[in-house]
Amino acid sequence: MKKVSVSFTLNGDPVTADVPVTWTLLKTLREYFELTGAKEGCGVGECGACTVLVDGKAVNSCLYPIPEVEGRSVTTIEGIAEKDGTLHPIQKAFLENNGVQCGFCTSGMIMSAKALLDQNPDPSEEDIRKSIAGNFCRCTGYVQIVESIQMAAKLKE
Amino acid sequence: MPDYLFVGKSIPRTIEADKVTGKAVYINDLRRPGMLYGKILYSTHAHARIKRIDASKARRLQGVRAVLTGRDIPDVRVGFLKDQTVLKKDVVRQFRDEVAAVAAITPEIAEEALSLIEVEYEPLPAVFDPIEAMKEGAPLVHETDARGRPVKSNILPLPWKFSVGDMEQARKEAAFVTKDHVSTTWVNQCCMGTSGCVAEFDQSNNLTLYSPTNVIFGHIGRISEYFSRIGLAGKKIRVVNPVVGGSFGTKLDTDIYEFIAIQLALNTRKPVKILFDREEEFRALPPRQPAVFTIEQGCDREGRLVFRHCEAVLDNGAYTSWGATTPSVMIMPMSSLYRVPNVYFKATCVYTNNIYAQAMRGYGNPQATFAVETSMDSLAEAAGIDPAEFRLINRNQPGDETPMNLKITSCGLEECIRAVKERLQWDEKKKARQKTRGLGMASLIHVAGGARVTKSDGHGIMVKLDEFGHVDVIESGTDQGQGSPTVISQIVAEALGVRPEDVFITFGDTALALWDAGTHASRHTFMAGNAALIACAKAKRQILDMAVDIIPKIVKLNFKRMKRKDPGFAEPDLDYGLIADPEDLDIRDRMIFPKKEPDHPYFRVPISDILRNGLHVGIGESRVVAAEAFYDPPTEMLNREMKGNLSMTYAFGTTGVEVEVDEETGDVRILNLVAAHDVGKAMNPTLLLGQIYGAGYTGVGYGLTEEIKVRNGRVMNPSFRDYQMLTAMDVVPIEPVIVEPDDKDGPYGAKGVGEPGLVPTAPAIANAVYDAIGVRIRDLPITPEKILTALKQKKGGMNV
Amino acid sequence: MIDYDYKRPDSLEEVFRLLQEYGPRAGLIAGGTDVMVKIRNTKKAPEVLISLRGLTDLAYIRKNGHYHIGGLTTHRMLEQSELLQNELPALYEGASRIGSVQVRNVATLAGNICNAAPSADTAGPLLALDARVTLQGPDGERRVPITEFFTGAYRTVRKQTEVLTEINIPAHMEQFGSAYWKQSRRKAMNLPIVGIAVSLRLDNDTISDSRIALTVAAPTPIRAYKAEEFLAGKPMEDAVLAEAGRIAASPECCTLRDSLRGEAWYRARIIEVYVPRMARLAAERIKKTH
Repeated sequence: MKKVSVSFTLNGDPVTADVPVTWTLLKTLREYFELTGAKEGCGVGECGACTVLVDGKAVNSCLYPIPEVEGRSVTTIEGIAEKDGTLHPIQKAFLENNGVQCGFCTSGMIMSAKALLDQNPDPSEEDIRKSIAGNFCRCTGYVQIVESIQMAAKLKE
Repeated sequence: MPDYLFVGKSIPRTIEADKVTGKAVYINDLRRPGMLYGKILYSTHAHARIKRIDASKARRLQGVRAVLTGRDIPDVRVGFLKDQTVLKKDVVRQFRDEVAAVAAITPEIAEEALSLIEVEYEPLPAVFDPIEAMKEGAPLVHETDARGRPVKSNILPLPWKFSVGDMEQARKEAAFVTKDHVSTTWVNQCCMGTSGCVAEFDQSNNLTLYSPTNVIFGHIGRISEYFSRIGLAGKKIRVVNPVVGGSFGTKLDTDIYEFIAIQLALNTRKPVKILFDREEEFRALPPRQPAVFTIEQGCDREGRLVFRHCEAVLDNGAYTSWGATTPSVMIMPMSSLYRVPNVYFKATCVYTNNIYAQAMRGYGNPQATFAVETSMDSLAEAAGIDPAEFRLINRNQPGDETPMNLKITSCGLEECIRAVKERLQWDEKKKARQKTRGLGMASLIHVAGGARVTKSDGHGIMVKLDEFGHVDVIESGTDQGQGSPTVISQIVAEALGVRPEDVFITFGDTALALWDAGTHASRHTFMAGNAALIACAKAKRQILDMAVDIIPKIVKLNFKRMKRKDPGFAEPDLDYGLIADPEDLDIRDRMIFPKKEPDHPYFRVPISDILRNGLHVGIGESRVVAAEAFYDPPTEMLNREMKGNLSMTYAFGTTGVEVEVDEETGDVRILNLVAAHDVGKAMNPTLLLGQIYGAGYTGVGYGLTEEIKVRNGRVMNPSFRDYQMLTAMDVVPIEPVIVEPDDKDGPYGAKGVGEPGLVPTAPAIANAVYDAIGVRIRDLPITPEKILTALKQKKGGMNV
Repeated sequence: MIDYDYKRPDSLEEVFRLLQEYGPRAGLIAGGTDVMVKIRNTKKAPEVLISLRGLTDLAYIRKNGHYHIGGLTTHRMLEQSELLQNELPALYEGASRIGSVQVRNVATLAGNICNAAPSADTAGPLLALDARVTLQGPDGERRVPITEFFTGAYRTVRKQTEVLTEINIPAHMEQFGSAYWKQSRRKAMNLPIVGIAVSLRLDNDTISDSRIALTVAAPTPIRAYKAEEFLAGKPMEDAVLAEAGRIAASPECCTLRDSLRGEAWYRARIIEVYVPRMARLAAERIKKTH
């Protein structure tokens, strides 16, 4: 199996991964870096549980070939709280407003929300719903997730 | 209203912060040293004889540690009716039948090994329609029963029958009668976390199973029975929950993949993980099954229900899991939703070569309520009574005892119906009708105070406090995301007099916990809450007993110190009688104080002072605080007649919907959805809303979009792309209404609420669609195709 | 077991060289949202994947008389383009309803049409907008009208050694209003049960020119020529539009079939209903922008 050496920035730190060329970003994050926050809910880009940011954009890491990560900047759920443990406003809002239930979709959901709020600090409900349309959730009916993202937008101000 | 510090407050889910930081360890993330990866080879036929299996190539693949077929493991039957084996040796009866399994050092190698296993099948005649399967001469799915005796029919030996009153007489008395055929379809629970487990044996063959099951002790029972037949009788089994990525009924039974993981672990002497991918989750996990109902109801001239008669046929699939027991729950709405004196219900479960069935949120209730509530609407129309008024006339009331002997204690149904009417502006809109818009409603009854489906409906809990005032709670239940860590911490904090952040809860570990019947049936808050109240009362008494001894000592020690500092200090004359008896003391917000003088300058002390001074004393005097409780409420199991008060209290609720239907395309848009729920007491309003929103949304999917398409036994849409679960773009404006009647049995008055929101949603939508365009869709889901077809029939030959 | 090599050339020349070197053993990958799924589902992959993501200068949206869209332009770029939203709304609608933000952030326009699914969301709008595609190969480039691009389900005229570098929409489309409807059971994360794209130009209230394109109505995305011919020179009236819808939905224009996602009669009904609705919307949009 051919291997590849990929250097990139992961949650602010420069890293190099030596992994099979066929690995996805998701598999590399979970198995090489042991960052298991991003989840595989379907493996084919249909559920969003694996969402991470590449150069600030939300992508399905399950479809992202690892060689494409060379030189890029990757942010995962593990990398958005402060170093001292202070939660990111979106994380805080999800806890405050019951945006989390079973939590399996949460990592991806929060990363989609972060991509949105970084670009659009004052989104409409429609903007929010569009930005998480690719993140399935079975527990919440999305209502309190949308409210959590609205709350996070206020907290960030 | 008592002045609660935490109960009834929207305490945030801070206790679950690991879920927002990626730290929470789900089964997907769990890894054990030396762990192997198991994969399962499934049947490629719906019904066939296995002529030959050749696994030799797979066994030779580098990295493979075990390949098992039905010939390699003991031929032991498992399941509710013991109608299947773990690996199928001679005959496959459905597409998901497990014919072989592999353990390898990576999932990829295991997958590769599966592709090297050669299986030769000889197809057998199959049957996919339960009605066809009931007929004489239909191909038999099973030729023998669990004991090897030949069987003559595909009908399961589970005669679900309920009969009260005189049906013949009732039919005569009824002024209006309607009879309808109603059907529901397969739906997948769609847990976002796919299924999986890790099985690990120690050197002495004691098993630890990391499993997301919500019935941890039931798991032990089933696995130990299996052990007794494979030569492992008496071995210790420990079931441990990882963080659980959704449950919704999928984790009630011990699934075949778990037995397979156990066999692979036993065979390889290594921990073995099996983790489903999404396609497997759709193909190989038992979903909610389809049912067809023929329901007939009658009422008198005043609109009072006289009888309800219903026969149901359920497609069981090829084997039997809890799906076949859903009729036991269907009896509840059939007999007890609204007052109805004469009731007949019969359900027949039938084997077919389809995928077999499990339960889902609401158990059989959503299916049965769809039948009852769409029929209620027809009958209201036949009687010429407004559907809301018709439901009010027949509403359940506090103090009722229903035909199945359910004792209705608190009941907010009337308030729920009225709230829905008001919020939807029911009367106004019914008068000023807008074309293609319509209103509909449906109600529900569900168990909300436990459900005695096994001999014990008990729930154990242990509470201990350390010297710093931290409380450890060992919960026998499981946490699948419903919010119990927060709610139980609120209850414990309130009852003990500490704060929620002082409470640390361990869920889902059979080695630590006492016992529990399972975190199902919307029972956790009620059962664990009541158990917690008992345990906390005991622990609190222990603390207060210590306080009676220790507070005077602390006070006197303080005086001694003060005197040392200031020799002129005059010891005040204190009334030690205030704290002489533990009954005179209370604890609140981490402080112990005399009830008569809560702000006493000397007798008010931090709880941690008492705990510390109680522990660090000396030989023979040290004390720790720990208490346990096992709460098993005075309820009844259903008797032979399917009667019994199986729950301490019942949840009621009403969902009202306003829809707009596009008559050209058949598309249904939900303009408003009001979900009014009698919850007893809202323990944590924000978390409570989460249950109502989530269940409501799933109910909308059940009503409009979701169906597993099974063709000739095969699941045709095993992906999120093709299985139409709703997205965030499918906006459903849900307006919850919380109704809080005083419930004497619930912890602080709370009732269960996990399942109810799903139950009445689909029939409310169906009724609203009828109100909008005058066609009744009695077959779920209510698709545009069905609406257009019905409209065409109504208009007689319009070109569609 | 799946194994392949992965090349990331940063120039077209290098892409052509690799394509020639590996011949049929190579496959192109852009955003990967189709290719990676296919590899996972079929457990088969080409020996070498040649990534086009290094060709960053092929991601652009320009108006320069004609509209020029680079092959590597992502759906997200299309979705966020005000130019498209204002002047080519059908394409904006098609692009913005594919998958999710996560998918649209990487999936490219060239990828969507080269995959050539009968359901491709951008194919209908491109057909309704007279698009032409530029294919570049080692021996130079050629332009193909989109109407001639699709040759069958998942098949196109693109040769194995060619790269789709640009989509060109002629300047005259500025005069047209356009709209796209994707019929689906839920509102996102779907393939269309059927897709309807309409563009038209009005002369007072007379339809002087129109394009009607359909997806999932035949093995390839198609134009409903007979319906367009019927509309030519007719007034913008309900009865006229309804008849155009009927013609579009008939075997004169499409070969509908039953599938898991929808039955033929239902697809026909949706075409009948949405050809007029999209025509109305397209017409409104002319008035708004011109």
